Amino acid sequence: MGGSTTAVRQAELHSLPGVGFRTCNVQRWFDRQFSRLAVLPTTAMMVLIFGIPLAFSFYLSFQGWSPEQALFAGDFAGSANYEDLLTDPQFLASLQVTFIYTAVTVATELGLGMAIALLLNVDLPLIGLFRTILVVPMMITPIVAALCWKLLLDPDHGVVNYWIGTHIVWLGRPGTALISVMVVNLWQNAPYVAVLLLAGLRSLPSEPVEAASIDGASAWQVFWHVTLPLLRPYILVALLLRTIFEFRAFDNIYVMTSGGPANATMSLSMFTYLASFVKFDLSLGAAASWMMLVMCLLLCLFFIAVIRRREAN
Amino acid sequence: MRPDRYMMTGLHGVGSRRSKLIFAGAVYLGLIAMTAVFMFPLLWVIGLSLKTRLQVFALPPLFVWTPTLENYAAVLGQADFLQAFVNSLVVSSGAVLLSLGVGVPAAYAFARFPFRGGSFLFFSLLVMRMLPPIAVLVPMYILFSKLGLTTTRFSVVLAYSTFSLPLVVWIMRGFFEDLPRELEESAWVDGASRAAAFRHVVLPLIRPGLVAASILCLQLAWNDFLFSAVLTNNATRTLPVLMAGFSGGDTGTDWGGMTASGVLVILPVLIFSFAAQRHLVAGLSSGAVKG
Repeated sequence: MGGSTTAVRQAELHSLPGVGFRTCNVQRWFDRQFSRLAVLPTTAMMVLIFGIPLAFSFYLSFQGWSPEQALFAGDFAGSANYEDLLTDPQFLASLQVTFIYTAVTVATELGLGMAIALLLNVDLPLIGLFRTILVVPMMITPIVAALCWKLLLDPDHGVVNYWIGTHIVWLGRPGTALISVMVVNLWQNAPYVAVLLLAGLRSLPSEPVEAASIDGASAWQVFWHVTLPLLRPYILVALLLRTIFEFRAFDNIYVMTSGGPANATMSLSMFTYLASFVKFDLSLGAAASWMMLVMCLLLCLFFIAVIRRREAN
Repeated sequence: MRPDRYMMTGLHGVGSRRSKLIFAGAVYLGLIAMTAVFMFPLLWVIGLSLKTRLQVFALPPLFVWTPTLENYAAVLGQADFLQAFVNSLVVSSGAVLLSLGVGVPAAYAFARFPFRGGSFLFFSLLVMRMLPPIAVLVPMYILFSKLGLTTTRFSVVLAYSTFSLPLVVWIMRGFFEDLPRELEESAWVDGASRAAAFRHVVLPLIRPGLVAASILCLQLAWNDFLFSAVLTNNATRTLPVLMAGFSGGDTGTDWGGMTASGVLVILPVLIFSFAAQRHLVAGLSSGAVKG
């Protein structure tokens, strides 16, 4: 980089002050401590923006606390916040919505992403152009993407209703509202899955596929019995990443429905947001966010265990 | 049309010329259909941004019209929009710089010098990236407001580090691992300290990695909504927060202004991403698949 070769770099190195002295004790100490010193800023940062906030919200989730009070002036409330959550129909609805939303979007993204990846994997002229164009939706700011779709789905002036020849209030009915927020997400993230799987397809050895074809396997058999098993690590990674990111669904829902109608699109993130920053019940928000944390952590551990087992076999 | 075995072999397999042609035609057809479906929403919205108010609401929708730039002129004349644009720029680049400065040495240590507690630390960083942002945001908001930090752009930069710092460490560790160890070892033998070898030998060679990590972080920070929605006010809000203001219940009637702002919001990310697409795809897959 920058036109300089390693040899030049090393020549430069010798001319640097203080580089040529081996015997310097300070330098030895620094060398011994290098990795500790190198990770020190990162560790400090993690404690500051991650460790302390999470510890505080864990504490807060057992308190009755309002924003006017001093930080530690709340009253101990035991598990009251958690009990409130588990008896709150809105929270229970958000649990259900989040799991349905996550399962359906991730499954569809993987199916669609695989189809796109297979098409993009064929070596044809101009394929690079298609590869470039198809990743555009995933770069778009989610808020803007959701707004775009809100206009497309507008009951009176939206182009979707015009084409179907209907007057459906897409975001006003529970069933269609959930599908609508899912579609925006699919539009953005199926290409993301396709990029991941395409990287996998490009890295596969060609010999097993060729051997199977020569042995007379049909295209479908080759895909099902050769390509898919070889691709498994990539599929698992895509599954893990997408599950984690769909579980936190917020932006598209905030813009399109704000959780409505009748809680049909109330994701856990949306619920926690409303509890914390609209109703300003921050200790309830803390309890909800800790339940989300635990669920998300369990999901991660489950997937990591699956990936480890696959690797061990 | 039955899928063909060439699908897996990239047309290098056996078969007649005719079936190859049919297969290529089918693939192109699929690709064009897919591109049409995926690009239509964006193209339609760009179209809306180039229409006058009357044309936007014309029924049946206009597919051919004389484009106008009046919406863009109106948006670019708004102080609100320009302020949010500057805020977005400051906050995103702040997050990238902070994360690079803090995270790159750590990534190097993770890649080169295994140390006690290192894997725990690295795992915690991954957890930081995986956990839902709202969970960090609730306590962060309280602590920041008691410290008087809320509504400052600095608080948003700090909040963005929860995703940009792990991303930087994750991607850069991959790049450092790919770098031959001999380069630094010869520098050490020549008497360079670890830090000097890192600065003068490793860092110049790792520039593509720095570019990839910066772009991915920049894109995530630019696109974030949740953190800045909670941590900013009207003076410090970023573009996505400004855009979300359009969604209050009804979408209103200024579809032209709304779509023009939307296009202006996504344009920088698109230009930036395409300029460095090679790095981006490498970064995405190396960051995700290597572990």
